[in-house]
Amino acid sequence: MNPAISTDIAAQLIALLAVLMLVVQLLLVVQRMLLTSIRLFAVQSMFLAGIAAVVAFFHGAMHVYIVAGLTFIGKVMFLPWLLDRQVRRMRIGQEIEPLVNFPTSMLTCGGLTLLGYIVARPFTSLERLGNNTLAVAITLVLTGIFLMFNRRKAITQVLALLTVENGVMLAAVALTTYGMPLVVELGIFFDVLVAVMVLAILVYRIRESFDSMDVGKLTQLKG
Amino acid sequence: MTLLLLLPLLAGLLCLATRSRATWEWLNLAAFFLLVPLAFKVGAEVLQHGPVTALGGFLRADALSALVLILISCVTLACSIYAIGYFRRDLADGRIVEAQLRRYYVLTPLFVSAMLLVPLADNLGVMWVAIESTTLASVLLVTFYNRKTSFEAGWKYIIIGSVGISLALFGTVFTYYAAVGVLGANTHGGMNWSVLADVATRLDPKAMRLAFILVLLGYGTKAGLVPMHTWKPDAYAEAPVPTAALLGAGFINCAVYGIARFDILAVKCLGPQFPGGLLAGFGVLSILVAAPFILAQRNFRRILAYSSIDHAGIMVAALGFGGKLGALGAALHMLFHAAAKPLMFFCAGNIQQHYGTPYFWKVRGTIRTMPWTGGLFLLATLAVIGTPPFGLFQSEFITLSSALVADRGWVAFLFLTGVVTIFAGFLVHLAKLSLGTPRTDAPARVAECPWKLTAMSLVAVATVALGAWLPGPLYQLVQQTAVIIGSAP
Repeated sequence: MNPAISTDIAAQLIALLAVLMLVVQLLLVVQRMLLTSIRLFAVQSMFLAGIAAVVAFFHGAMHVYIVAGLTFIGKVMFLPWLLDRQVRRMRIGQEIEPLVNFPTSMLTCGGLTLLGYIVARPFTSLERLGNNTLAVAITLVLTGIFLMFNRRKAITQVLALLTVENGVMLAAVALTTYGMPLVVELGIFFDVLVAVMVLAILVYRIRESFDSMDVGKLTQLKG
Repeated sequence: MTLLLLLPLLAGLLCLATRSRATWEWLNLAAFFLLVPLAFKVGAEVLQHGPVTALGGFLRADALSALVLILISCVTLACSIYAIGYFRRDLADGRIVEAQLRRYYVLTPLFVSAMLLVPLADNLGVMWVAIESTTLASVLLVTFYNRKTSFEAGWKYIIIGSVGISLALFGTVFTYYAAVGVLGANTHGGMNWSVLADVATRLDPKAMRLAFILVLLGYGTKAGLVPMHTWKPDAYAEAPVPTAALLGAGFINCAVYGIARFDILAVKCLGPQFPGGLLAGFGVLSILVAAPFILAQRNFRRILAYSSIDHAGIMVAALGFGGKLGALGAALHMLFHAAAKPLMFFCAGNIQQHYGTPYFWKVRGTIRTMPWTGGLFLLATLAVIGTPPFGLFQSEFITLSSALVADRGWVAFLFLTGVVTIFAGFLVHLAKLSLGTPRTDAPARVAECPWKLTAMSLVAVATVALGAWLPGPLYQLVQQTAVIIGSAP
């Protein structure tokens, strides 16, 4: 295949997958059910793994295959399974109660997407892969942080945190072609895994001692 | 250098495998005792040969790293000695059961190992991984007492910390991107400090500006800068005292270290105006916001957290004022703060255990009810708020001069206002706590624990000695650190 054409295909595939990640993020913002949210996160992570695989394939960067594999095993299979089990075992209520209603959340996220594109603008000409990938990454981070503040259930805050992480990893692939050095990728992967396990322990203990997962009730410490 | 990381790791794993409290105590103590000479050895090597590396360049130490290493290892040793007495008292009073202690003695060495990796990692991405690992290792220490409030504090600690730290990762990615622009896409050293420092002047300024803002927000969260400080009072007050002391006197250096590394790159790339302004702004804001909380504080564990926010602010402001003086101020402040701060935590812990309360109004005249603790608390407070002749007075004075040299008159004025307010606030609180007349319902006087006294007197001797005399090699190390931070054009 002509190298110029193959790079072009890669760029378009990556742009497509990145936009799909953003679509899933917006679905997460308006999702009412907890278990569906967890699945949406898994789908989003699958697109991220897909992007890594595309990069690895078209640029012949072997170590990015490892990143793609780890993302798939960790974020598509293991973490959703862990969170799913936690939700079922603890019989957490299914409804998510957001602080801001859905239309307003949607509007806010629209604004944040705009902001993401504005911040990314000076860099788009220098971007190596795909159009707008960086803008999508920044948007994922911003909306992830918004999700975090807009959700009261502890598990949904964990999910929001994980989407922020997805955004950062997307930026790493989009900006630098080959991703970060493998040792860093491995370290980040390990940290995210441990973080979610620690958070799961905490969620369980909070549930036990407060008889609720509503972090809005964590208000005893002041001053 | 490798041994520095492996030793605590090994001690932690051995503690996991054993079942007796005595073994846990000795394993921890032995590991941390050996860390101190190892850290000083790294310092000596750096002074003799310049930067040293290990594991094929994966680990690298220059003067700045060596200084942070020495501070962390000394603070850790003091905390581990104190911890033995502290937890024995907790056991005797029935606040905890013996099995719970395993969590402390397993996680603390892991926490320390992660902290030591922060200054040793050459790769800024690995440094990020290390800082995130410290959070993960310490969050279950913060929730050690399994109270409702501990879970609240732990949740805030990890959630706020994680959001912050993902921003720092984003910033690190941007820095890497800027480096890739200079070094080419297939670079292997684009995240390594030793490579970045040389090419910093050629990095893309737009990317570097965004990277610096993100990193400052991220590591600023871990350092406890306003407005990302809200986890700090809860975590410091709910954690067991040895953990709080490790966070407040040890880990804070790691966070400031991370900011300093990126500040050096940013100053080389963008000139001192932009990063300096941001750092000075965040630093002075932290000092000013901490001041009223200290004045109105009713809880003597939480006041330590606000003091820590204040000191993180001073260090960051000193970095921001920049130049040779600012860099020297920041390095000295890290040194003197780490020397004096543990003593405050230890004394506050003693009083809380003895009186069974963290509130000022219930505790009066500790100098009569517990003479050692009461006296040393007064000494530690005077040192930490920067009374002459203690070291922190010198470093704060140098920082103030650096602000005037940098022609930031208004900022210097605000800095001084904040520091003086905090000075007054602490004096009022401590005068009542230490010198007032003991309440009639105060618990009976008991002999103070020898383990705690050993830890406290070690720190006290170090604080007083450093105020009067800074040993030659240590001062050289501080000077070289200042050169690394402040040498940029």
